[in-house]
Amino acid sequence: MASDVTMPRLSDSMEEGTVLKWLVDEGGEVKRGEPLVEIETDKANMTYDADTDGTLIEVVAQEGDTLAIGEVIARIGDPSEASGNGKPSGGTEAPAEEEADGGGEEAGEDAGDEEAEGAEAEAGATAEGEAEAEGEAEDEAAAAAEKADGDGAGDEEPAAARGEARGGAGGGDGGGETQAGDGGGTATRTRAPTGNGAGDGERVKASPVARRMARELGVELARLEGSGPGGRIVKADVQAAAEGDGAAAKEAPPAEEERAPAEAREEERAPEPQRTEAGAKGEAEIQELTRLQQTVSRRMAESKATAPDFSISLTVDMTEAVELRKRLKEVADPAPSFNDMVVKAAATALTEHPRVNGAYRDGKFELYERVNIGVAVAAMDALVVPTIFDADQKSLGRIARDARAVIEKVRDKTVTPPELSGGTFTVSNLGMFGIEHFTAIINPPQASILTVGALAKKPAVDDNGRIVARDQMSLSLVCDHRILYGADGAQFLARVKELLEQPLSLAL
Amino acid sequence: MPTMRYREALNQALREEMEADETVFLMGEDIGVFQGAFKVTQGLLEEFGEKRVRDTPISENTIVGMGVGSAMIGLRPVVELMTVNFSLLAMDQIVNHAAAIRYMFGGQVKVPLVVRMPQGAGHQLGPTHSHSFEAFYLHVPGLLVAVPSTPADAKGLLKAAIKDDNPVIFIEHETLYGQRGEVPENGGPMRFGEAAIRREGEDVTIIGISRMAITAQKAAEKLAEEHEIDAEVIDPRTLRPLDLDTILESVKKTNRAVIVEEGWPHGGVGANLAALIQEQAFDWLDAPVQRVTGADVPMPYSKPLEQAAFPHEEHVIQAAIATFRDI
Repeated sequence: MASDVTMPRLSDSMEEGTVLKWLVDEGGEVKRGEPLVEIETDKANMTYDADTDGTLIEVVAQEGDTLAIGEVIARIGDPSEASGNGKPSGGTEAPAEEEADGGGEEAGEDAGDEEAEGAEAEAGATAEGEAEAEGEAEDEAAAAAEKADGDGAGDEEPAAARGEARGGAGGGDGGGETQAGDGGGTATRTRAPTGNGAGDGERVKASPVARRMARELGVELARLEGSGPGGRIVKADVQAAAEGDGAAAKEAPPAEEERAPAEAREEERAPEPQRTEAGAKGEAEIQELTRLQQTVSRRMAESKATAPDFSISLTVDMTEAVELRKRLKEVADPAPSFNDMVVKAAATALTEHPRVNGAYRDGKFELYERVNIGVAVAAMDALVVPTIFDADQKSLGRIARDARAVIEKVRDKTVTPPELSGGTFTVSNLGMFGIEHFTAIINPPQASILTVGALAKKPAVDDNGRIVARDQMSLSLVCDHRILYGADGAQFLARVKELLEQPLSLAL
Repeated sequence: MPTMRYREALNQALREEMEADETVFLMGEDIGVFQGAFKVTQGLLEEFGEKRVRDTPISENTIVGMGVGSAMIGLRPVVELMTVNFSLLAMDQIVNHAAAIRYMFGGQVKVPLVVRMPQGAGHQLGPTHSHSFEAFYLHVPGLLVAVPSTPADAKGLLKAAIKDDNPVIFIEHETLYGQRGEVPENGGPMRFGEAAIRREGEDVTIIGISRMAITAQKAAEKLAEEHEIDAEVIDPRTLRPLDLDTILESVKKTNRAVIVEEGWPHGGVGANLAALIQEQAFDWLDAPVQRVTGADVPMPYSKPLEQAAFPHEEHVIQAAIATFRDI
């Protein structure tokens, strides 16, 4: 019986997805758990693994097609079920080899070493060519691997015993070269199936504590991507999702944390520009938005439409901070930047002003326990806000290191959703462009956003009425008036100023 | 607080208990004239005389059997067996008699016997002298089992073992005899069933048995320095009774557990503890419980092979990291 492959739900807010690339050709062999297709969601480009074995008898959705969740994108079944125009399957070597290669690579990425070895054995067997022999080799390899794993339930199986079992698996066809696990390790790991098994009907791989928390917080596990070993959903993933979606939210809330591509394996490709006929404005180039750009535009509009915001500004004398940074440079690498100092000062002030570290949501204030500061970063042709978790508990040096590391990840597109969510407050800095002062749009549902202008020497009046040159910088706080009133915001901002003007307190 | 070696702390415990209670006496091979294979009984023959410090023939089952009999008639014998491997010769007396008699006689008699023995690898003593068998004794109802890893615990737990009315298997470690540590002056007996938290941490619970409590602590320091993993290290100190509450409380906090022991993996202390943890804290686990154990082979004589056959810091570090991500 042929089965339909439908557009999977790969993120909690996904409604539709775009097929980027089929990883198996029509007529090619598909193996459960191995990569089938790359799909672009609103948040990331993700590889979707097949959930059944068989032949890809029909590709319904072509590369570039966008379909709603649940719509059929392909059919998998017996080669005999292929419709008239289906390609002959199995007989040609090309697709089989391609699949074997792809399988090996993906398994290496997604699964533990043992899985990778198994896949290599299969690849070796497949390269021999014949479809039947291939099937046998796979069965044998799988059976032997399972057996080896069963035997390996203890911690330290004699390496020789495992080596034999595996050697046998590869030796069956002469094609695969298999190796025993190093055995010198300490605890045998279980085989990690690829993917988190978010597909319909398949058990989602999640740790017990993640399951319990998901139940308590009303987070749907199938919507999460696991960051644990073998793609397991772990506690941190559920926490991040709960903070992002609002605890106990049963349905996808309107305002979720802004997230960006997780493991963008490829560049997020902006669709090809189109051109319209020339009008009074001349020819217009029409650009489709990437998913990330769509998310940004939707959430920014939501924020402006729902949050009654106001902004307040002040100027901070940074002369001592400049002096401090000069000294820190001599001892710290990376030396904390002024932005890191702002993050640290804000974190300290947030602990003293709980409403700033909160959100207005559904007629209630939510005050957060953790102080997680998002740092707006222009990247990926959009805006991405990685989070510095528990910034109030981190030293200035640690904040500098963490910020550098996560921004690096944003820039090389290896940042993961948990690292982009869970923020309780945001800092946005355009000082590097010489912007002296600006307001920003609140990152909903947060209560406010702090903007940082350029630091420059400017005239100031000292205590004796003389005009002196001082390093100065403007800070603005844009507040959601539903939770943060003028005086609250002003006290918070004044405290940030105070901390920055006595920066030694930040270096503690 | 005075600092002393593990063997000196044991010696002090024996001396103090012998001074305090004249029913306490020692038996064992070479413990008198030779002052003990590991010098734990140094000076005691001279101080207490042949009646209370008795050299015995090489016959472990008989030595323990005499201990059982004398304990049944009201004495408090402390029997030394030269290594844990030799204690297997006395299994009949330990399991069939010492552990069962109080139960078989409906509580009419008790067996306040202590059987001391060292275990552990690292001295090239080969497969007949170097094993770690706490799991064997943990298996037996009726026995208390102590596995002290510090001089202070060695002293406090030995004093408690001697005072206890139940048979106690007191497992020392050959590598630890020379280790120094602070021991409280005039310290009394410790309580069995109270684990020590050797290092507080938030990220992963590492439970180290016997010497592996020390290895776990060193691993925890490296995890903090090199991997930003803040491990909590627990030394159960006694396996029966076991302070499971402290372990569960920690696991519920960290959501991860690694158990480190020197003995074999199958049916080991870690296997048992992993079962208890998953039974009682399943919903708090964020990763499978990891075990780090000795290799599943007889202890090799060859130095490099012997070193490879019991856990070191790097194994503990790898196991701890494996609770977070693929390695």
